[in-house]
Amino acid sequence: MLLAQIILQGLPEAIPVNPIARWTWVFPVVESIHICGFTLLVGTAAILDLRLLGLCFRQLSISQVAKNLSPWINMGILIQLITGAYLFSGDPREYVQIAAFRTKMLLLLLALIFHFTVIRKATAAAQDSASLAWRRPAAVVSLGLWVSVLLAGLWIGNL
Amino acid sequence: MSFLSFCQWLGQTPLSVWLREAAYPFPILIIIHVMSIALFGGVVVIGNLRVLGKTMRNVPVSQVIGQFRTWKWVAFAILLISGTLIAVSDPMEYRDNIMFWISLGVLLVAGLNAAIFRYGIYRSVAAWDEAAVAPASARRWAGVSLFLWIALIFAGRATAFF
Repeated sequence: MLLAQIILQGLPEAIPVNPIARWTWVFPVVESIHICGFTLLVGTAAILDLRLLGLCFRQLSISQVAKNLSPWINMGILIQLITGAYLFSGDPREYVQIAAFRTKMLLLLLALIFHFTVIRKATAAAQDSASLAWRRPAAVVSLGLWVSVLLAGLWIGNL
Repeated sequence: MSFLSFCQWLGQTPLSVWLREAAYPFPILIIIHVMSIALFGGVVVIGNLRVLGKTMRNVPVSQVIGQFRTWKWVAFAILLISGTLIAVSDPMEYRDNIMFWISLGVLLVAGLNAAIFRYGIYRSVAAWDEAAVAPASARRWAGVSLFLWIALIFAGRATAFF
């Protein structure tokens, strides 16, 4: 893949002074925070999707559920981007060559774009009384994207 | 039969050998285990955050907790079954793994903490159901609960490291 080759040229070797490359215990500790982060992110994002599907919190309007959950979804995204970038810094040259890693980054990008465009629009207050026709399939796509990011992440670990 | 000979016997059962040596069962077990963590953890986090008054403040506490009760128990059952099968895949290995036993200990304490909440302060939930922020004793429980489930994730991940 050409893009990966270009990125590869610009990446530094693993830096020996980086704690994650230096001590073996740093990786599982940061990864544990990464697991807590995805529990928060996927858990709360999934609840919002389930509300769009009418499977929970039906006594609240969709926009109210979104307003309640958004700070936690955003915090989950922030934790994941920070810990994920740090895990990546341990050996960037190695990661960009792993198919699972590239797949995950692509899926992550799609999930984030979908969340901040389609899902944000679907859960806006202006939509509360509108038809759910396009919003239900959007929720299914969103759920599928988050779960596939998670699966691709596990795939990295298994290689 | 001593615990050592039990582990040796368990490690030689066809199920254990299959889980350990076949290519697919173990990664699939890990996937199921992690997915159930996300499901269970998400439900637990929302319940605890509601008690702490950090989300869904206009929904009664019992409704936020009751909303996902079935899902919570389904996720917990999958979590326990997949975790047990991971242990069965290599009993001799986990028998000597200190983090495995610490994980079990943390799980036990987290379970006790949840039971104390359920049969303690939560019995009077009707009195503070509508409150934006639950009473201090309930909030303390929620904080401890969040801490313990996070500790369990750390201990579980460390089990694979040791």
